[in-house]
Amino acid sequence: MGNFLNSAANLFYGGLGNLAAYLAAHVLLCLLPAFYIAGAMTALIPKETITRYLGRNTPKFISYPAAAAAGFLLAVCSCTVIPLFAGIYKKGAGLGPAITFLFVAPAVNILALTYTGTVIGMDLALARLILSLAFGIGIGIIMAIIFNKEDAEHDRATDAMFAQQRSMRRPALVFLLILVALLIVGTFQIDLLKNVYLEFNLPIRGTEQFQNFLHALVPFDAARGEEGVSVQGAVLIGLLVLIGFSSWKGLEKIHEGFNAWTWISTSLVGITLAFASLNLQPAAEFLGVQLIGKFFGVLLSLIVLGWMLKKALTEDEMRDFLWETWRFIKQIFPLLIVGVFLVGIIRGLIQPEWIETLAGQNTLFGNFVGVIFGVFMYFPTLVEVPIAQMFLSLGMHRGPLLAYLISDPELSLQSILITATIIGKLKAWVYVGWVALFSTAAGLLYGAWVDGTALLTIMLYLASMLVVIVLVFFIVNRFKPRNQKISEKARP
Amino acid sequence: MQIKILGSGCANCKRLEQITRKVVDALGIEAEFEKVTDYQKIVEYEILSTPGLVINEKVAASGRIPSETEIQAWVEEAYKAN
Repeated sequence: MGNFLNSAANLFYGGLGNLAAYLAAHVLLCLLPAFYIAGAMTALIPKETITRYLGRNTPKFISYPAAAAAGFLLAVCSCTVIPLFAGIYKKGAGLGPAITFLFVAPAVNILALTYTGTVIGMDLALARLILSLAFGIGIGIIMAIIFNKEDAEHDRATDAMFAQQRSMRRPALVFLLILVALLIVGTFQIDLLKNVYLEFNLPIRGTEQFQNFLHALVPFDAARGEEGVSVQGAVLIGLLVLIGFSSWKGLEKIHEGFNAWTWISTSLVGITLAFASLNLQPAAEFLGVQLIGKFFGVLLSLIVLGWMLKKALTEDEMRDFLWETWRFIKQIFPLLIVGVFLVGIIRGLIQPEWIETLAGQNTLFGNFVGVIFGVFMYFPTLVEVPIAQMFLSLGMHRGPLLAYLISDPELSLQSILITATIIGKLKAWVYVGWVALFSTAAGLLYGAWVDGTALLTIMLYLASMLVVIVLVFFIVNRFKPRNQKISEKARP
Repeated sequence: MQIKILGSGCANCKRLEQITRKVVDALGIEAEFEKVTDYQKIVEYEILSTPGLVINEKVAASGRIPSETEIQAWVEEAYKAN
């Protein structure tokens, strides 16, 4: 019994430790701006800026990349992806660009990309981005060829939806770009940002003792790369709670009007980010504060953003921006916290040997296992990242890891079912098959690169794979008698 | 007055309906609410993203939640037009 309690306590602390590590300064500094960027993209970028390139008469070499761009810029949550996908498909742009959009949107979700980059590594995030874009376009083309439609729906459809012109207001665009700059300054590890430019001591006593207390409260294993909770981390967690509280009061009813809490919440976020970007050195008699390059960059961005929020954005833009950001935070963050905690517990239960046997090498089987796990396990948005990190620390190769990270947000039973109501069961399941195939391929390619294969070779593999697939389908389609071509008749 | 909320169950759609009901009740106007969740039907209204607010078959807003003030103005206008 005593042994069981001991193990249970260990697991519990594992969960807590994981949570603390994920709320550490560097994660906050990336995730918080990422939520605001997601909110800005949803609220400030008019969909028409990109969808106008998706009309029937736009040449394919524009509409496919535009569909991919749309996936990256226009849709952060599935509630936007699905309606846009339905519209693009139904209104005549065709299955191809619509599928490209459907594939790219969850795969290069800005929140997931930044989180992956911070927690696991920029190389993985970049690979996820590039391969998702390439495969998104590929899968769109393939689906368009397989289901070469000759039906009347295309002719009936109007181009009205795609003819709308609207550009983004200049101040809104600048605002979004500075948000991105804030994110970059807060997370890039270059010397300019890491150098200490100003150093001073605050006469606060007892910070070192507090630090020791925190380390005893939440033990961590430095050998495994865990960080534990620092003084700064504890203060940040407190600030996060305050932000949550003030945001609830100030943003939840923002359509009724702004109130004091709206400004308090936004200011708190600014203060938290600035505080997270400096270095603290706890000591017995004082608290050492180091103002590093990152701090000045973050502070400057915050000041400009605050000014723009009040003066340059319209009231509608400000309201929509804050609301969408808050909506994402509400939807994602609580589940993320619970997820991270549970992952920390589960990590204690899984033996590394199991993972290493299944996916320790960059094999076809290993990548496929990653994909199967991603397809059949449904996790709330962003939770797939701490899970991936757990697998990584248990010995999974980075190739299968990428395969998992791409396939997990793509497919859940729910999203497959909804997609099926829009394009039909046959097309939906064919799509699932291709997603599985491409995720495996992406993992294999990236894994090969990690293992040392030259980049040029990888690009050649990628290009030849896509060319072969497209060629095969062209040929197959061409040599079938007209009335036997795989066509729209397959719709339910 | 016929008010349709276009969208399938996402948080924004629910919030839009909630706010619109509040505005309509406060104005004391009688309105019939309909929630359209079928994508085939939603797409007919030519909106790019949900939620959509349709008053007497005219699309008032889409892709965002308008403020109470805006919704009030639209509802009043639609009421007067009848």
